[in-house]
Amino acid sequence: MTRSVWKGPFVDGYLLKKSEKQRGSGRNEVIKIWSRRSTILPQFVGQTFGVHNGQKFIPVLVNENMIGHKFGEFSPTRTFYGHAADKKAKRK
Amino acid sequence: MARIAGVNIPTQKRVEIGLTYIYGIGPTRAKQIIGKLGISAEKRVNQLSDDEVLRIRELIDRDYTVEGDLRRDVSIHIKRLMDLGCYRGLRHRKNLPVRGQRTHTNARTRKGKAKPIAGKKK
Repeated sequence: MTRSVWKGPFVDGYLLKKSEKQRGSGRNEVIKIWSRRSTILPQFVGQTFGVHNGQKFIPVLVNENMIGHKFGEFSPTRTFYGHAADKKAKRK
Repeated sequence: MARIAGVNIPTQKRVEIGLTYIYGIGPTRAKQIIGKLGISAEKRVNQLSDDEVLRIRELIDRDYTVEGDLRRDVSIHIKRLMDLGCYRGLRHRKNLPVRGQRTHTNARTRKGKAKPIAGKKK
């Protein structure tokens, strides 16, 4: 079910402040965030966010295409190394 | 024989059903179309007059994306997700289910036929 339009996009408030602050100052550096659930807004374009994946902060450079997606979508939480090795290990 | 929206030649079925043979038109849209043009749902495709066929063709051309165009749109959307590096894109790249379904079992539509794992016994 899609979110009601009248509510507007969901963003954790402190992200707006953080992003605003950086706009005002030096304008580089990764902004570390934990809020994977927040929507990417047009005013975030061009900034780099370190999105927490539970272990590390994955740097995400936001571009226009990402608007409307959530931050969490760009920071995978699982690592998959494949199955190849277990063939011989199980033989015995 | 009626040719609507390029290659589609629905048969002697009812118009409602015949139209759903077009990619991008399902039961709902088929009903909308005959509703707008005031064609009786009872009519078979081969009973349509040339004029009616023409009007259906025009309506579809004007109001709906269909067949090749639609297929292209869909693949562009998928490609966008893949280029973006988002989770849904990754799932498309790996040919796994995109919408959070389980993959421990099932998911055979996306994964293809099950491949046996060599030397699993004992």
